[in-house]
Amino acid sequence: MDLVIIFIGAALINNFVLSYFLGICPFIGVSSKITSAVSMGIAVIFVMTITAVVSWSVNNLILIPFGLDYLTIPSFILIIASLVQFVEMVIKKVSTAIYRALGIFLPLITTNCAILGLALFASMREYSLIQSVVFALGAGSGFMLALIIMAGIREELELANVPEPFKGVPITLIVAGLLALSFMGFAGII
Amino acid sequence: MKKTIHIISVLTLTATISALTLASVNNWAKPLIEENAIKAISEAIFQVQPSAKSYEKIPLDELKAFEVFDENKNSIGYAVVHQGNGFQGTIKLIFGIDKNLERITSIEILEQVETPGLGSLITEENYKNQFRSLSVNPVINLIKGKSKTADNQVKAITGATISSRAVVNIVNDAIRILRKYSKEEK
Amino acid sequence: MKKPVSLTQEYIKGLWEINPIFKQILGMCPTLAVTVSAINGLAMGLATTFVLVFSSVIISSIRKIVPSQVRIATYILIISTFVTIVDLVMKAKFPELSKALGPFIPLIVVNCIILGRAEAFASRNNVLRSFLDALGNGSGFLIALLVLGSIREMLGTRTIFGVQVLPNQFTPWMVMILPAGAFITLGLLLGFANAFTKWQEQKNKKSVLVR
Repeated sequence: MDLVIIFIGAALINNFVLSYFLGICPFIGVSSKITSAVSMGIAVIFVMTITAVVSWSVNNLILIPFGLDYLTIPSFILIIASLVQFVEMVIKKVSTAIYRALGIFLPLITTNCAILGLALFASMREYSLIQSVVFALGAGSGFMLALIIMAGIREELELANVPEPFKGVPITLIVAGLLALSFMGFAGII
Repeated sequence: MKKTIHIISVLTLTATISALTLASVNNWAKPLIEENAIKAISEAIFQVQPSAKSYEKIPLDELKAFEVFDENKNSIGYAVVHQGNGFQGTIKLIFGIDKNLERITSIEILEQVETPGLGSLITEENYKNQFRSLSVNPVINLIKGKSKTADNQVKAITGATISSRAVVNIVNDAIRILRKYSKEEK
Repeated sequence: MKKPVSLTQEYIKGLWEINPIFKQILGMCPTLAVTVSAINGLAMGLATTFVLVFSSVIISSIRKIVPSQVRIATYILIISTFVTIVDLVMKAKFPELSKALGPFIPLIVVNCIILGRAEAFASRNNVLRSFLDALGNGSGFLIALLVLGSIREMLGTRTIFGVQVLPNQFTPWMVMILPAGAFITLGLLLGFANAFTKWQEQKNKKSVLVR
């Protein structure tokens, strides 16, 4: 039950993009086509889940036992940077098809604050290993959902007559605002 | 080869300097941060138990609770910190209760992320004042739209029933745990 | 090679010409997240400027000895060190503010502005220029956060920096302090910024023609 709440909470109610504003850069950059939104979403879920496991282990097995919790930020960011590189190498070796689909999105993920945010939130809320993984899956799915909805809207928006100065990022932000409003409807379900 | 040594030495040096700097900043900051945390909690305790002069932590695993004393070191009740699910996220609150676990002295919301303007009204005096000398026998009841008929009732905020109920549930849950504990004590 | 600009220009350009928020559209996450009030915006702007200035100076001064293969890793290490310092100092000295900004202080690490200026400017220019560039970009970021925070606080709670500026007859627009308000306000501000830039360009063109 607890795990269900964590999952729904991270995916819908406190959606990383629409209520914590994490991962806005790829949200604006990659959300112009549905196909790339899906690929980016999968890549994020994947990296988030691995990050959750590794950062949990480092935090609870190394940093906290040795009283080094002031090194949390540097260690987490280094973990994420090296993980992304590692995942990229593995995917390249294992399957060229997947690499072609996800490859260009992986480097973008390093500076995606959603990943670091996930690791920080999980450690701040003192989640257990399983809770962290569920939290990562929820947050990743929520990110993908927001990205796909946004891409769908933006494909239609191409045809709309938007005032010149508002084309591109400004109108995307305003649409995101309306999306955030509608996501508030999920609030009562936990 | 020379290149590799160069790369490794630069990274190692950066990491070492960074770790040493942080260690010394942390040495300075840590006692201050702990002091802040203690100050915050004691301020909250004296806010919900205004006649208290000192407090002591109760050894309880499931609840963060403090027994509070007057100037003559007589126990006058408890201050309890507890949390639970609200409408949008966790609500963390502290409340004071008398020695016999019958009436609440007062309540403060410590952390909440409820909807501004609706659920967030639980932090306003209008709602919190209802908890002053509120009876908790047998439990606190939440009522909607009607006027109060008993002294263990709290009126829900219009449009924010879930947030209002969450606060009541958190307090009831804490009192349940506290009652179990005080029975074991006796 | 562009001709070297004056030192004052190195600072001034960050305020508007290449303003991180309005022109480069970098560092959106903290911009949107913390600007529920002017004071939060100010605190976040100052924290980011501090990290930006110090990491730029350090990165610029070691730019010749850092091998390019590990340049990003080194930058990230330096940046995260300064972010942790800010985080610890805020927790120790300003616990209230630190609580309000929450995880967004640690998240300064991934603020693209800092790594962006490190990579695009500090790794190629001398310490003085990097310092001015970082200060300029930091100030530009600060101004944007302050504007956004003030607008949202004013319309959402009738106050700016906690001082009431709108009469009680004005019904606060709750949406402004919700996440949705952040997106919409920033979207509108960016749109107006674009329109202003266009108008400026056209005016310049005209004045060139007249001459």
